[in-house]
Amino acid sequence: MKRIVLFLYFSVAISLLDAQTPKELWKNANNLYSQSNYSEALENYLKIEDMGYASESLFYNIGNSYFKLKEAGKSILYYERALKFNPSDKDLINNLNLAKDFSLDKIEEIPDFILGTWIENINYSLSSDKWGIITLFLFAVAALLLLSFRFGSSSRIRKISFFAAMAALLLGLGSGYFSMNQKHRYNLKNTAIVMKPVSTVRSSPDNSGKTLFILHEGTKVELLEELGQWKRVELADGRQGWIFSVDIEVI
Amino acid sequence: MIRIYFKRVMLLLSSLIIVLSGAAQSVFTVDAPRVVGLDESFRLIFTASAEPSSFNPPTFAGFDVLAGPSSSTMSSTQIINGKRTESFQVSYTYVLQPKSLGKFTISSASVVIGGKGYTSEPFTIEVVKGEGSGSSGTNESSQATENISSDDIFMRMSTSKSRVVKGEHLIATLKIYTKVPIAGFENVKFPTFNGFWSQEVDTPSNIEFVRESVNGKIYNAAVLRRYMLLPQQTGSLTIDPSEMICQIQIKSPASSSQRSIFDDFFDSFQTVRKRITAHSVRVYVDPLPAGAPPAFAGGVGDFRMSAKLNRDSVNANEAVSLIVTISGTGNINLIEAPKIEFPADFEVYDTKITDKSSKTGRGASGSKEFEYPLIPRGSGQFTLGPVQFSYYDISKRKYISLTSEPLTLGVGKDTGGGTISSSSLSLGVNKQAVRSIGSDIRYIKTGSSKLKRGNHFFFGSVPFFALLAMIIALYFVLNKYLSKRIERNRDVAGAKNRRANKVARARLKTAESMLKQKQYSRFYEELHRALLGYCSDKLNLPLSDLSRDNIAGSLTEKSVKPEFIQELLSLIEACEYARYAPDPGGIEMDNNYMRAIKLISDLEV
Repeated sequence: MKRIVLFLYFSVAISLLDAQTPKELWKNANNLYSQSNYSEALENYLKIEDMGYASESLFYNIGNSYFKLKEAGKSILYYERALKFNPSDKDLINNLNLAKDFSLDKIEEIPDFILGTWIENINYSLSSDKWGIITLFLFAVAALLLLSFRFGSSSRIRKISFFAAMAALLLGLGSGYFSMNQKHRYNLKNTAIVMKPVSTVRSSPDNSGKTLFILHEGTKVELLEELGQWKRVELADGRQGWIFSVDIEVI
Repeated sequence: MIRIYFKRVMLLLSSLIIVLSGAAQSVFTVDAPRVVGLDESFRLIFTASAEPSSFNPPTFAGFDVLAGPSSSTMSSTQIINGKRTESFQVSYTYVLQPKSLGKFTISSASVVIGGKGYTSEPFTIEVVKGEGSGSSGTNESSQATENISSDDIFMRMSTSKSRVVKGEHLIATLKIYTKVPIAGFENVKFPTFNGFWSQEVDTPSNIEFVRESVNGKIYNAAVLRRYMLLPQQTGSLTIDPSEMICQIQIKSPASSSQRSIFDDFFDSFQTVRKRITAHSVRVYVDPLPAGAPPAFAGGVGDFRMSAKLNRDSVNANEAVSLIVTISGTGNINLIEAPKIEFPADFEVYDTKITDKSSKTGRGASGSKEFEYPLIPRGSGQFTLGPVQFSYYDISKRKYISLTSEPLTLGVGKDTGGGTISSSSLSLGVNKQAVRSIGSDIRYIKTGSSKLKRGNHFFFGSVPFFALLAMIIALYFVLNKYLSKRIERNRDVAGAKNRRANKVARARLKTAESMLKQKQYSRFYEELHRALLGYCSDKLNLPLSDLSRDNIAGSLTEKSVKPEFIQELLSLIEACEYARYAPDPGGIEMDNNYMRAIKLISDLEV
């Protein structure tokens, strides 16, 4: 009896050791990274990812680990994934640009409209969830103000509360849009990174297709359609072609 | 006489060959002319390269043995550059004469040398009608004439095949046939081979005459030239005629009258020049059949192919070679380098071709090596090829495609990448902006991980919509509640107003009737009483206790608005004043009545 208890105790202990919590893994990985043990750090980070967790910081750190292991393509992939959580993070943008320097293809990207960048910055200054909460709060305020408009004792109060309600409603819609936009962007699977050192883009989705151009590891492409094992992609400069699905990884 | 001379030459030549060949390998050989005349006697010589202990002669079916076997021994020692070579040979010579026309085979003879038995090859001799060139002259006179016919000496060009496909090799042999002794050649014009790729093969260094029978006549034949031809065009190709002038030695015509005494001792010879021509030869070249595979590189024959990399793994920007070797027989020297599709990131340099083929009378054979120098620019695992090579197989009359195994090449990361940046750095020496010494990614995020499972978003989730619905519902509920309450409030006020108005009108009923009767002082008296009565009721004070100060104080305590108090007081004052004052007119009465009604209504609400 005692033996069985002991055995149970040990098995529980082992399973506990085995199943580390994401928080522990995270801490562990960060420690390993600070000791320049990048490959083991990466292993731990990837374990967290395998458990189904995701966050900007996690992907950012995975990207950093890959970068330190001189796998520019993978690091770009994870930076881009992190970027989906927060496209205005300065560290992330800096590291991504550095990693892109290690990829061979130079494609002229059309710069974003400045107003768009501002809106983007505002959008991603808060997370989608926070924008969602703000939306609900603003809607609640707008509702109260509308009540005040309807049942205000004096016309002045009514006037003020009407305009305030309209403003709250608009702001609420705006923050709702931000929240929705972030979610939409995150769920969008229309971009991919070339993972193979050298990958051929052909004019048709088969091996006999004429070679149009060559892409190297780390190049970002936009996915247009899929046919069998081939994907039609578009580069940032507008060129299109078919690439073998295995060669790329969706962000 | 000339015949004897010639014979000696022949003998010498043949024995030389025997010596050479004997020295090479054969221990026991046989030698005799291949073609003899019916009346001719000839020598058959067996040669052994060592002293045999016994000799077992062959059977000579179809021949008479005139003499033999007579054995002779020859030994020689050579010292060349201190290297001593010895040769020794024993020969058994028979003199034979054929009995009849036809082909006869002399069976093999055998010897025992050093306890080991050796046998010679069976030897076939063709016996033809007509004079042998070695026979002592019966028709010497005809030879001696100046008219040397084209029968006596001619040249012939023969090809090994008359019908070939494009690229299939054939051998063209130019031979001279003669019955007369030749002193030399002049103005030799060898043929040109238009439409062929040609190369001389197996050309003997010295012209070597062998007996051959042509149309039943015995000639001394010699190969002048032998060419390997590869047709490059299709259709009927002509090998141009070749010609030369032969210097033929003939005995000068014996004019007995002028013959000196010396002439009897020395045959006088005279050189006659004769132009001989080999006729042109036609070769029909068929085109290769249609349906050549794409990898067909012009090879016709029988080939094998192998492909390999000189290294299995390299680093990026390092050189590696793919070597394709094609070996076999056929037009190997004309095979083009197989086209190989390399991964697009490979730099491919000019193919280096090493031809190791040799051309013989049986066509070219050997191998050809194609070396493709490559420099991979990117790292990764690459698959080269498969290398494809197609050729036309002559014997099978079809195209054969050979495919190599795919070759895998592991390309590692570039190890010498630093050199490029250092060279570019040296450019900007004079002026430089603040330059970062190194660049590195920013440090990892060590704060809270903010992990969340998958793509779980608050927006659009059930709680989000629930809360939103709650807000909207709350709005409507509150809206309804508030509007209801206001309505009810409005009703209460109306009722109160109506009740207050009623009370006021009831109180002022007598005052009103006085007003209608226009009884001035009575009206004010009644109004005054009504107001005071109202105040006493309202404030629960006896009428006797009512004074203006009293009323104002009590009303203020009851938090009645000061304006109403003021109004009440002014009305009471106006009533008191009017009771003792003369009648000023009806309008003032009406006015005061309305004021009182309003005041009481206001106070009641």
